[in-house]
Amino acid sequence: MIGFLIRRLLQAVVVLLLVTMITFILLRAIPGNVAVAVLGPASYRNPAVLAAFNREYGFDKPWFDQYLLWLGHLLQGNLGFSWTLDQSVSSLLGSHLPKTVWLVGVSVVLALVIAVPIGVWQAVRRNGPVDYVFTSLSFLFYAAPTFFVGTVLILVFSVKLHIFGPEGPQGGMVNDITDWKDLTLPVVTLALVTIALFSRYTRSSVMDNLAEDYVRTARAKGASGRRVLWRHVLRNSLIPIATLLGLSLPGIMAGALITESVFNYPGMGYLFFQAAQKQDYPTELGFIIVVAIATVLGSLLADIAYAVLDPRVRYTRL
Amino acid sequence: MHSQQWRRLLRPSYKMAAACCAVLALALAACSSSGGSTPSATGSSSASSKVVGGTATWALPPNSAPNYIFPFASSTYFSTVNFAEFQYLMYRPLYWFGNGASPTLNSSLSLADPPVYNGKQVTITLKGWKWSNGETVNADDLEFWIHMMQAVAPGDWGDYVPGLFPSNISNVKVTGPLTLTMTMDKAYNPTWFTDNELSQLTPMPMAWDKTAAGASNCTNVVADCAKVYAYLDGQSKSLSTWASSPIWSVVDGPWKLTSFNADGNSTFVPNPSYSGPVKPTLAKFEELPFTTESAEYNVLQAGAAGAGQKIDVGYIPTTDVPAKPANATVGPNPVNGYTLAPLIEWAINYFPINYQSTTGNAPVNKQLYFRQALQYLMNQKAIINGPLRGYGAYTVGPVGTYPATSYLSAQGKLGDPFPYNVAKAKQLLASNGWNVVPNGITTCAKPGTGPGECGAGIAQGHQLVYNLPYATGTNWIEQEMVQLQSNASLVGIKLNLEPKPFNQVTAIGGPNCVVAKTSCDWDFANWGGGWSFVPDYYPTGETLFLSGSGANSGGYTNAENDSLINQTLTSASPSALSNWQNYLATQVPVIWQPNGAYQMVEVSNSLGGVLPQSTTANINPEDWYFTK
Repeated sequence: MIGFLIRRLLQAVVVLLLVTMITFILLRAIPGNVAVAVLGPASYRNPAVLAAFNREYGFDKPWFDQYLLWLGHLLQGNLGFSWTLDQSVSSLLGSHLPKTVWLVGVSVVLALVIAVPIGVWQAVRRNGPVDYVFTSLSFLFYAAPTFFVGTVLILVFSVKLHIFGPEGPQGGMVNDITDWKDLTLPVVTLALVTIALFSRYTRSSVMDNLAEDYVRTARAKGASGRRVLWRHVLRNSLIPIATLLGLSLPGIMAGALITESVFNYPGMGYLFFQAAQKQDYPTELGFIIVVAIATVLGSLLADIAYAVLDPRVRYTRL
Repeated sequence: MHSQQWRRLLRPSYKMAAACCAVLALALAACSSSGGSTPSATGSSSASSKVVGGTATWALPPNSAPNYIFPFASSTYFSTVNFAEFQYLMYRPLYWFGNGASPTLNSSLSLADPPVYNGKQVTITLKGWKWSNGETVNADDLEFWIHMMQAVAPGDWGDYVPGLFPSNISNVKVTGPLTLTMTMDKAYNPTWFTDNELSQLTPMPMAWDKTAAGASNCTNVVADCAKVYAYLDGQSKSLSTWASSPIWSVVDGPWKLTSFNADGNSTFVPNPSYSGPVKPTLAKFEELPFTTESAEYNVLQAGAAGAGQKIDVGYIPTTDVPAKPANATVGPNPVNGYTLAPLIEWAINYFPINYQSTTGNAPVNKQLYFRQALQYLMNQKAIINGPLRGYGAYTVGPVGTYPATSYLSAQGKLGDPFPYNVAKAKQLLASNGWNVVPNGITTCAKPGTGPGECGAGIAQGHQLVYNLPYATGTNWIEQEMVQLQSNASLVGIKLNLEPKPFNQVTAIGGPNCVVAKTSCDWDFANWGGGWSFVPDYYPTGETLFLSGSGANSGGYTNAENDSLINQTLTSASPSALSNWQNYLATQVPVIWQPNGAYQMVEVSNSLGGVLPQSTTANINPEDWYFTK
């Protein structure tokens, strides 16, 4: 297991390097002028200022030199400086990442708590009215864009019914944790899409397992239906869900980008939204690094969870 | 040039949401009683009484937050949100512009009496208002700022124009505790010098004349200023310390900052030492940041309905505003309890024509008849009444039409000199040697430079085919471009529309490509925002239309125009400005387009003193008060 972890970590470093390089190239390939985006359109009054900016931040160098410069800084823990927000990217990530982790974490936990039992219930009562209702709702929420779900929830539960706030908690982390009234709608928005996804996979996985020989054997040995379902079938059914959860992390982070914009919640999505509109490359790269790490870690965690949930799985070099 | 329009990007459509609600049982309740439409009120009831105290909340423009507190900003930080909506609350410029909606000098809110001109000399006498630390706002404070300008302006003052302030002053002398005299390189038009040069100055307290090592002497020695600037710039970049900083707590404006976070949440309390004529009535003033217009609108609607945070002064996306009936000042307001107050900036709107184009169209672009023909195809009336919902102003030339000012000539007041007229456009092309093919491609049939011929450099068979990059994200600009494309096709001008992000369009069409050494491979570029006359309030053309100017995007050059511009800079006669604008309006150096509302502002009916708004985008919450 340790050898496997070391190999995966080394692979992760290579993957991260490739991600940074590709992202760096793509960002530099975007048409437009960074100096103008940062200094403002009126900076054309004074071309010398534009030249000085390009010189200072290395934009007059070839892209590979720029990349190596940025990578060198990254290895020293320096993610760069946001020109538009006037702060180091590290401090921006430090203040915004915990908010997104909290939002995503709560919504994922909520989604799992709801989706897994629903998926199991649908599998057991498949092709019945309950299954059809939840299947329809799953398709609906899975197909609906996050911004649309969020907007509808605001109109219904905030503007009309006055039950929840129309924006996410504003202020520090303590407020984020305690202000459930404002946190509810963004969490539910993210969770609805995730519930739709996870419940479908759980349903499918449980159905597959219910048809396995070991279920028939367990029943033949006198195990109750409840015991077979929750002790045997569920455990095996969760294996693909664990993989899915790990691989879904980047997608959920991406969903948080939209959710945070709709709910005016100052997390990573909010930060990336601002940075993308202002060609704030250092912040964009910082965000992408975080998402890339989340993806690699998610994949790694999925593999580990696989081994924990299924002792038959052994990670050895073939 | 303002850059707010792009912020409307990614605005979810409430109409689409409403339509889908009909399908969704969950949302039926939301649609059943959506947004009562009420006629707009004219403000707080005159019968209501003024309340002392209270906290007023004000919504920042979408996706923007103050990021610089030092009122000496480089291009990076030279923005409306930093100056007009943040710094000016605490640090007042020497001269305040904005009398109600009029963008003119407001003597009572200025720190100095109106300047006195005597040939090449200008004398400024300060009023002796107080800083919050008890010191007097005096001539030394003003000299401190001018010295800093002389030391670091080219790189670090965002409004610096080569050859203008401070390059056009030769001597600065403090002649008394409250008096400062400057000698200019020539006698300028006093209105121009006051409105476009002195308008930039902001006195700075002696408490700021320091470096990390201790006190400095930039006030008296220009050579010391670079280090002082570096220190203050560094302090200004430490956003988390703004509210507690002993530097930034010394203010001469009506407000002091008590809390701030990098997301843009700011809280101000009244400065008890403020010497101005109107002291704050509110106990607190808060600025709130928003990601998008729609996120702000959600909160505004919910607050208006009694749920969540209440926004006292906010805004509504233009796409959600019902059309204004003809002849009405303001149309129906979809938000109950608020007054709809469209804010149209003191600005002109246009998109440049590139006279230095390398696409092969430059010879055509230089032909006056072609530019006039294209201008006849820009249907400003339809754009204002359609996509702008009635909330826009015509651009009739280089001087803004809104608000009404004495700067606009009698000819300008007559309205659009090129009202939509396909027949005239067709006639202009046909009478100058073009074979006009409606819904096809018009070609040059008579090359040459004589009367009735296409003009110099235009070959026989040359086609009127153009690429037109424009900024996406602003609904009405996108509709305007489609309409212009359609109108142009009626006379055989083929416009290939190229929707692009705002930054890309400004990168293409913002610079004078020869001066800035960027690609000249473009003919038109519409970023949608034109030019705001802030902080250069007098609408002369030295930065936009003078030959060789860095902001003369298309490289327009015309000796007669240059001569007339130079007269506006030196002659105090109003006719100089009239002569120039009348001439340039019909020369169509750029394509004039409507000036859409900068923001559809919503003001709570329980808050008084907000209206009328300043067209310079300055805000004055010291005038605001709650009523009961």
